Amino acid sequence: MHIPDAFIPIAQAIVYWIIALIFIFLALRWARQSMGEEKVPLVAVLAAGIFAVQALNIPIPWGTSGHMVGAALAAVVLGSPYAGIFVLTLVLLVQGIVFADGGITTMGANIVNMVVVGSFFGFYAYTAIQRIIAHTFAATFVAGWLSLFVSALIAAVQLGLAGTFPLEFGLLSMGLYHSVIGLIEGGITAAALYLIATARPEIVERAEAVSG
Amino acid sequence: MIDGLHFIERHAYGNSVIHRMDARVKLLVALTAIIAIVALPYSTMVVSLGAVLFTLFLALWTFSGLSPLVYIKRVVFILPFGFFLIFFQIFFTNRYYDTFHPLASLPFGITIYAESVEFALILLVKFLVSISFIILLSSTTRMQDMLDASRRLGLPAEFTLTLGMMIRYLFVFAEMIGRIRSALASRCFDPFDRRLPYRYRLQQLGYAIGMIFVRSYEQGERTYTSMLCRGYGSDVHAPVPKTPLSVGEISFLAGAMIFIVGSTVVFYL
Repeated sequence: MHIPDAFIPIAQAIVYWIIALIFIFLALRWARQSMGEEKVPLVAVLAAGIFAVQALNIPIPWGTSGHMVGAALAAVVLGSPYAGIFVLTLVLLVQGIVFADGGITTMGANIVNMVVVGSFFGFYAYTAIQRIIAHTFAATFVAGWLSLFVSALIAAVQLGLAGTFPLEFGLLSMGLYHSVIGLIEGGITAAALYLIATARPEIVERAEAVSG
Repeated sequence: MIDGLHFIERHAYGNSVIHRMDARVKLLVALTAIIAIVALPYSTMVVSLGAVLFTLFLALWTFSGLSPLVYIKRVVFILPFGFFLIFFQIFFTNRYYDTFHPLASLPFGITIYAESVEFALILLVKFLVSISFIILLSSTTRMQDMLDASRRLGLPAEFTLTLGMMIRYLFVFAEMIGRIRSALASRCFDPFDRRLPYRYRLQQLGYAIGMIFVRSYEQGERTYTSMLCRGYGSDVHAPVPKTPLSVGEISFLAGAMIFIVGSTVVFYL
């Protein structure tokens, strides 16, 4: 889902970069205020962990493989959408500059659709569902699914606005594909949260609700 | 993706004139080339500029002494999503052309248009030039050098420190992923084995992912504590000594910038 360079005109790419920088600034401010500036190294190592998580190939029913994004997992476990933004932005930077996956001019757009949207939708879907039905795994599952599904729709809209991919076909194809892939993201996010809450309950916000 | 980490970094430790060049020069040249090709409007002039920039890339790649296979392997790894977006262009109209002439008609009312094929080619050229310069940069520059260059170019120290730590631990986690795969394989667990229930496979992978998350958190705690023991604080940053560019590097940077910007302006006009 990483939009490569060339698929978004430079003027629009600058707008996405500005939006992304605003959220990166907010995420840095959150890190300083909520974690203590000295604890930033912990997030750095966590970002490397998320990068590793994305390396595990996950089977997809029709025979191909995919990988997890992890925005919802990071946001839910660390208790803030800004945590997801902080961690995933580092991941995207390395993917773009070292692995050439995702582009440089389009990195702002990718941060907006995958990191910002993924983290916010993931985190607030989790908290809202948790408040309504008080079922942590259902909430985590929906958070993982929604974060990926909405990210894909936003990416389709970005490509549609850029005029490099038809909006209707983009929404339909990426929406359909990611609505299925999202189920896998949701299931794995829920299983991962269960393990984290069982092994290190103090890491997870409201951990007692998860392991109980 | 993490599996390719050692492959990329091994080549970055080469010893050619391109490898030895200051990372700031390579970073600026790569960024200028990418911005130039992306900034040029979607039109056939992209193909001409693309040919010029790709020739520059080929010259630099030749001087780096790296095998063409290294480049091909890395391109193949990156292609899928970009290729998907490019391939489907040929079946659609777009806002960048006023008229569309059918080239071929397929079943189910699908038509391939001449202008759409041209647009797909334009996107392909932009895409290939962009990824080529990034591949050149990361194949000839060590990650730590890239970080130091970013800091010397003005990226805040807090950011480069965090990014630097992340990169360092990527190698640790690359090893860990290998161990986890071995552990799963030694228990005869194959996530692609269709004889196992799909839900069970996902659950096991979810646990493995949760374990990686916990391990990275614990590693982060240990790292933080050991850094504190060595005097780390929010205002403490490793100094990056000022290294002025050599005359040769300045000349190359100026020449490359003039060449890229000049070519772009010429084709645009």
